Amino acid sequence: MPGHYIDVPVSGTAVTDSLRKVFILRPGDSAQDISIEARAGSVTDITLVILPGVSADLTVNVDFTGEGASLRLAGLYVCGSSEKVSVRTVVRHRVPFCTSDQIFTGIAGGTSRVSFNGTIIVAPGAQKTEAYQQSRNILLSRDAKVSTEPQLEIYADDVKCSHGATAGSLSEDELFYMRSRGIPESEAKVLQLISFLSPVLASLPDPDAVASELEAAIRSIVQR
Amino acid sequence: MSRELLKISGLHAAVEGKEILHGIDLEIKPGEIHAVMGPNGAGKSTLSAVLAGKPQYTVTEGSIEFLGRDLLAMSPEQRSWAGIFLSFQYPIEIPGVSITSFMKTAINSKRAAEGLEPLKGADFLKLMREKMAFVKMKPEFAKREVNVGFSGGEKKRNEIFQMAMLDPVLSILDETDSGLDVDALKIVAEGVNALRSPSKSAIIITHYQKLLDYVEPDVVHVLKAGKIVRTGGREIVDIIETQGFDSF
Ligand SMILES: Nc1ncnc2c1ncn2[C@@H]1O[C@H](COP(=O)(O)OP(=O)(O)OP(=O)(O)O)[C@@H](O)[C@H]1O
Ligand SMILES: [Mg+2]
Repeated sequence: MPGHYIDVPVSGTAVTDSLRKVFILRPGDSAQDISIEARAGSVTDITLVILPGVSADLTVNVDFTGEGASLRLAGLYVCGSSEKVSVRTVVRHRVPFCTSDQIFTGIAGGTSRVSFNGTIIVAPGAQKTEAYQQSRNILLSRDAKVSTEPQLEIYADDVKCSHGATAGSLSEDELFYMRSRGIPESEAKVLQLISFLSPVLASLPDPDAVASELEAAIRSIVQR
Repeated sequence: MSRELLKISGLHAAVEGKEILHGIDLEIKPGEIHAVMGPNGAGKSTLSAVLAGKPQYTVTEGSIEFLGRDLLAMSPEQRSWAGIFLSFQYPIEIPGVSITSFMKTAINSKRAAEGLEPLKGADFLKLMREKMAFVKMKPEFAKREVNVGFSGGEKKRNEIFQMAMLDPVLSILDETDSGLDVDALKIVAEGVNALRSPSKSAIIITHYQKLLDYVEPDVVHVLKAGKIVRTGGREIVDIIETQGFDSF
């Protein structure tokens, strides 16, 4: 797999909008590993969008090497058939006063297999680290599988770390309520799924552009 | 003679393998308002869920005709397009979906089913504002997520708002009056009365005579243990009020 390195610009103690990027993986694209060095005071905000028809196996490595840096890492996926998506993240807090927030969320239908393996390492001395990780998933079929494996290795004592994972299904009650108002079943599903993804969508630099592509993707798998 | 708007014949229905309705016959003519009363657990909400087409409920016997069509062959959304509206006893919360986008999708889905263009943005907003004012819902509710964090009374008001927006032929109000203050109760009554026309009907499920003071029912049914045990006029409400359901 081709490697891909993004160097995060350093700007001393000034807070800079160092890196804000959305990667969209469409069918035919090849997944690339991402490595980030988060230097002092940097702000990094990365979103990875994995659309239906994409199988991907990739790792995101983040190294905090300077104090006062923050990272937001979002993964959004929509799988509708037999995709295999495996995302690993390794976030290393080597220095104090850094924050990392990871959210991995998506929709798994068909016979897709999705796994999220998030490792957070807080080195000795990396005090005042805040590291969060959550995984929220909706399963659209019995044959789809989602697994979340968080791994926390914490060697400092003054830190805030948490992780959580949920895997639910569409709410029958919500679907019936919407249908009883004349919203067709497939549209009701689309509405519910979009609203499920909306917390992550809303935080994107250009939510509308990504939202319309995701909405089309969701519509295509719901109507299958 | 006017034919029935709704004709329920020998209806048996089950949920989770358990039969709840044991043979219901009910006919509603255009323009009529029917009240359905009965003790807790009698099957009133089950009947309304079956009419609206809730998938978890299975009809094991019998038939339902609505405007001459086989209602049981229709999906919930088709029933809505045909003019059936259920005001839920327990309205559902839809996180992440605003009332505006919910209603816009609902109205335009119906229009699409009728081969019409979506309503123009300005026309839709005008309709929303008009109906929200009618049920005295504050304008800021338009942006709120459907029923999320609403008080009990606000949820019921939102049901009546949706009813007014969708302008149904048959409105089914499942305890819409429960838990409402007097003012809200009057709004519900006005909502039903505003829809009254020679071609439209309503089923009002209630435990109280209060709403029936404002909306005069033509026929009153007593539903008990999955069966209609008595059908009559307004006098039945008084019998229930004084003697409860034991005498039926
Ligand atoms: N999903 C379900 N699973 C099992 N039993 C159910 C289910 N839904 C309803 N029932 C049962 O069916 C019976 C009728 O319920 P229903 O909600 O129709 O009563 P109701 O007449 O509306 O009562 P209330 O006045 O309390 O609203 C009850 O005994 C209830 O427990
Ligand atoms: Mg009930």
